[in-house]
Amino acid sequence: MNEALPHRLAAMTGLALAAAIAVWWLGSSRLALDHGTDAGRSASDALNALLLVRGTALPILGVRVGALRGWRPGVTAALGLIAPSWPVVVLAWSASSTSLTQVALAELLLLAGSAALPLIGLGLRHSLRHAELAVVMGTAVGTALAALAWVTRGSWCMPLP
Amino acid sequence: MLRRLPLLGLALCGIAHAIAQPRIDLAATPAWNGWTRPGRATEVDIRLTVDVATRATLDVVAGRQVVRADLDLEPGRVVRLHVPVGTAEGVAVRAGSLTGLPERRDVRIAQSESPLLGVGLVTDDPIHLEGFHTVALAADDLPRDASAYSSIDALILDAPTLGALDQQQLGALLVHAAECGRIVLLNADPRVRRVLDGTGGCGGRALMSAASLTDAKEMLESSLAARMVPAISLAGAGEFARPGHLIWNRVLVALAAYFAIAALAVMFFSSLPVLLLMPALAAVAILALVHAMQPTPQLVVWSEGESGAQVARYQAWQRFPGLVRGHTRVPVLPQLASARSCDPTQPMRFDFDAGRGRATFAEFDTRLFRQISLCYSGSFPVARAIAIEARPDDLLEVRNAGRTAWPKGVLLAGGLVHDLPALGPGDNTIIRTHTGKPLRDALVRTAMARTQADGAAALWELELGGVAAVPIESKGWLLVSIPHP
Repeated sequence: MNEALPHRLAAMTGLALAAAIAVWWLGSSRLALDHGTDAGRSASDALNALLLVRGTALPILGVRVGALRGWRPGVTAALGLIAPSWPVVVLAWSASSTSLTQVALAELLLLAGSAALPLIGLGLRHSLRHAELAVVMGTAVGTALAALAWVTRGSWCMPLP
Repeated sequence: MLRRLPLLGLALCGIAHAIAQPRIDLAATPAWNGWTRPGRATEVDIRLTVDVATRATLDVVAGRQVVRADLDLEPGRVVRLHVPVGTAEGVAVRAGSLTGLPERRDVRIAQSESPLLGVGLVTDDPIHLEGFHTVALAADDLPRDASAYSSIDALILDAPTLGALDQQQLGALLVHAAECGRIVLLNADPRVRRVLDGTGGCGGRALMSAASLTDAKEMLESSLAARMVPAISLAGAGEFARPGHLIWNRVLVALAAYFAIAALAVMFFSSLPVLLLMPALAAVAILALVHAMQPTPQLVVWSEGESGAQVARYQAWQRFPGLVRGHTRVPVLPQLASARSCDPTQPMRFDFDAGRGRATFAEFDTRLFRQISLCYSGSFPVARAIAIEARPDDLLEVRNAGRTAWPKGVLLAGGLVHDLPALGPGDNTIIRTHTGKPLRDALVRTAMARTQADGAAALWELELGGVAAVPIESKGWLLVSIPHP
């Protein structure tokens, strides 16, 4: 398997997620502009959606790629997933009433997750010694972490204005 | 003795400090005896005096909006300001100098659920209009800014009260009359009636003259039974006063370009620095692009009057498109009256010029795609008299019955739109009614909605070049109703 394939796929996934949310946000903003309503609400929603989607996809990808290929490819794939959204994050923040500190902290949290989650996969690979079992377990642990992130989203997602 | 010296010095310093501190006397009184309706604007009459010459700052806080004025106060001189305020149950008035303690007065504004009838009579004759809450007024209770007249729904004024109004109050009253405010003048002097004749909007139906209080009541009752076209709102004008989409389009193009470049980069490069640097640089570049754009304010003016009337009422909206997160300060257009925020929930600060008695600058927070609008309203003199005569064979003869020439416009009659050529005084033109176009763009739809079903109207584009500091993107219209062709 090509070494660059996992992070290329991750980057394409990150790009597709960012594009989908950008399209939704720009469409909502256009409707808000036409109807004279507050476009800031949809910008805050877009920021939350970007955080939530990346926050739930990151554990699955990071732990799995970490178990399959090691820490460095895991970090590269995770960063490939989260980084393409930055221009949309910057614009949505500019259109929202969410504070800069909240948005910066959320991105730092994702960056920290990108570095830490592949370590879990790597640990599984070392402890289980079977690569295939480690990948399956890594995917399961990643999915469990994603589910946990989804269930507890109320406590870490940015509050809506 | 030596031990007491520091204490003595401290006491002397305290006395000197107390002597230097100016004492500001502040009084604040609401217009209309403190009554208004929910969501309506009103006015606060503020008086300041001081014992030592000082520079002071006055803040009037009503809801989320603040009016600030810098004042040079001199001993023995009363500074009086009439500050229009938005809807609020309470208004906080604070005045303070750099050295002294600030003074604060809280003004309560009673919000009536029932319509309000303002009665300015020197006699104590009782009057009651069914369903209305009556507010007894002295001349000084009437506001100086026309926008504050939105607080009341009908007004009765007798000749002595009318005579006691100052120039500013009379000006505001005339604007209110032009804006179709229901006013009954009781036993008004014939000269006053002649002056007011033609200044009332809605064909003069809203400005009435009565000989007795009973007549006044009957006139108001019959006036209330007839529908009068209310002033156009931003929501009503929304269709033809829609904001431009330039900023939105640019953001769309910038994001589309980014996604295209990013997709190519992911396909051809796989190194971590490229994957990280490209989105980071793109974010900075897009933010820089948005910062580099110059927001273009838009001004939309809608005015309307009756054929032959001396004044037309107008509503204007100055829209500021948001680009970036930040704070902005914009000049208030000096030739348009009664500037206020179109959205009372929008935090906004106005700089108030005490000398000219009007807001000069507005400050508010902006962000991308946020549209902040300032609303203006008032009246201006107009001289458009249109005579329409129906002729056989579906023809209409349209004549300029006024003393000034018209520019080219359109005539709305029978649900159709006809081109109206420029006509000099006394000139006429023949219009074939069946050749009209069922042109239904947003502007014409709005104009037709504001024209009586059996009536006609002429619509002209306004020349806004004469308005000082008018934004480049400005448009305005004048709709003149013609009672019945």
